[in-house]
Amino acid sequence: MIVFLARRLVTSVPVLIGILFVTFLLGHLIPGDPCRAVLGERATDVVCDAFIARNGLDKPLPEQFVIYVSNIVRGDFGESLRYSRTIMDLLSERLPVTMELGLAAMVFAVTIGIPLGIVSAYKRNSALDVGTMVGANVGVSMPVFWLGLMLAYIFAVLLKDTPFALPPSGRLPAGYQPTPFYEVWSLLQSGASPSNLMVFISRFNILNAILTLNGDLLISALRHLILPAVAVGTIPMAIIARMTRSSVLETLGQDYVRTARSKGLRELAVVINHAVRNAMLPVVTIIGLNFGLLVSGAVLTETIFGLTGVGRTLVDGITARDYPLVQGFTIVIAVAFVLINLVVDIIYGYLDPRIRLS
Amino acid sequence: MKLQQVAHVETRPSSLWRDSFKHILRQRSAIIGLCIIAALILCAIFAPVIANYDPLLPMIGQPGHTGRLPAQPPCIHLLGCSTEQPQHYLGLDLNARDLFSRVIFGSRVSLVVGFSSVLFSIVVGTLFGLVSGYAGGWIDNIIMRLMDVLLAFPSLLLSIAIVTVLGPGLQNALLAISIVTIPAYARLARASVLAVKEYEYVLANRSLGANPFRILFVHIFPNALTPLIVQGTLGIGTAVLEAAALSFIGLGAQPPTPEWGAMLSEARNYVFTAPHMVFFPGFAIMMTVLGFNLLGDGLRDALDPRLNRN
Repeated sequence: MIVFLARRLVTSVPVLIGILFVTFLLGHLIPGDPCRAVLGERATDVVCDAFIARNGLDKPLPEQFVIYVSNIVRGDFGESLRYSRTIMDLLSERLPVTMELGLAAMVFAVTIGIPLGIVSAYKRNSALDVGTMVGANVGVSMPVFWLGLMLAYIFAVLLKDTPFALPPSGRLPAGYQPTPFYEVWSLLQSGASPSNLMVFISRFNILNAILTLNGDLLISALRHLILPAVAVGTIPMAIIARMTRSSVLETLGQDYVRTARSKGLRELAVVINHAVRNAMLPVVTIIGLNFGLLVSGAVLTETIFGLTGVGRTLVDGITARDYPLVQGFTIVIAVAFVLINLVVDIIYGYLDPRIRLS
Repeated sequence: MKLQQVAHVETRPSSLWRDSFKHILRQRSAIIGLCIIAALILCAIFAPVIANYDPLLPMIGQPGHTGRLPAQPPCIHLLGCSTEQPQHYLGLDLNARDLFSRVIFGSRVSLVVGFSSVLFSIVVGTLFGLVSGYAGGWIDNIIMRLMDVLLAFPSLLLSIAIVTVLGPGLQNALLAISIVTIPAYARLARASVLAVKEYEYVLANRSLGANPFRILFVHIFPNALTPLIVQGTLGIGTAVLEAAALSFIGLGAQPPTPEWGAMLSEARNYVFTAPHMVFFPGFAIMMTVLGFNLLGDGLRDALDPRLNRN
């Protein structure tokens, strides 16, 4: 296992370097003069020369790349042109929004997708199976931003004044400022400012609501999260349901399942302990691979649901030509993607000894 | 098996393609997919005939059009809309253009984007994959690590990054989508090469002194064809979806091009007051992607010789 872990870690190093290189190139390939992009069209040559020298833009490219990497390793992604704040600061503010959304979407996708897949495999060719598979095919084909808009219309307009009405935008009711957990718990000495980590954690509304035992806040945050999470989670759910179905179908036909049945085990035990358990390996991989879908889902739906998360900030950054921001956010997302794939591979290796031995 | 039966089987040689075609025709979902795609292609070819208005023409000042026109809901005479008003099957958009005509013309853009981006990435990806698999060694290593880096980004994010560099527009969006999908085809082609590279017939060709390119394209490439076709069909759906997404965030087709994603983008702030402007373009995207997905799944089953057809 340790050899497998080490080998897997080593192979992700070139990929990480590649990501840094691609984003570095991204910054250099963007047409136009970097100085005038940052300081404005009217910057004089003197000012620009000073800017170029200050930012090391006159050095050879390999040297610039080394400086770039060493800055990033120290957590310095530079400063956003648009917000005049560090990228790190913006990330710590907006990451919780997207992480909450992604996690909720994944919970939705897994808790609905896996049972649906199991049941339709077990009741193969029944109305439920056909319905699920048609639904899964349609679900995979839907543009996530369209689904988001339609959900907003259905739950905020058509179902208005019914108990099913859901808020179509924002994370909390307008103007509502939740009390951070560190203030409720009086963790701070009087006058001291909270640590970055505390602030970061308190920005997860649901976690904060649980920590402060605030039921109203929890319900409100959850209600706001349902529509975007369903929009982002629908495609992964459809994929997971399909994968689970075909995987369970395969294991249901195996000899060990027949053996389990012939031992006189209860049907539920046969299905859950023998068929489903062995069918979960590919499903785990698919769940991990869906992270990319969550990211693109977040990029496309945050704008629709008025959530200031990583995705929306990135899209706004592109339209505002805020290149340091686009660069920084891209790196963080890509690195997270690599790390998640790494974790999935490790889980996979742990679950299936054949993988780590090959 | 009786001798007669054996003789019968041998006199009718079956090819993979003929078998696959027969198999596809027996699959309901693949047929539905084929029908959707056929309808789309017909829409695209005969768009000027099917559409009853110019997709770029605002109706303001046109004969018979009065009152507040922008974002007007659908008007169909058969469904009770007053016959004094001109028919607009799907209503009007924000600039008072006929939405039905725009959706119909949108099929042209989407199909062109889907087919051409997949064609581009299949050609480039296959070339990379074949060379990588056949050459092996450091060439293989460099190409595949490059592909790994491309795969390390969530696809939409990478296409956004590429379009940011190239500048917004439909052509650049198309190029970005193609680049992002190259690794999938490269891996497929490489895997097929690796599978047959050491077979006797390839070794025999090599020992006869055949040109490596001839070996690669005449003897090895056909083995890679079936997975590439399946992946390509599914890839068209993905490409249509990604192009719509890029247009939705303003990086793809620019107004006034009748592109479904761009139409959704224009209409998104009016979803609560004029939902028809959002519903129809999105529905068109969904049907297109669904068509290619269904056909792709059907092809995968039909072209897989390992599957037992009985």
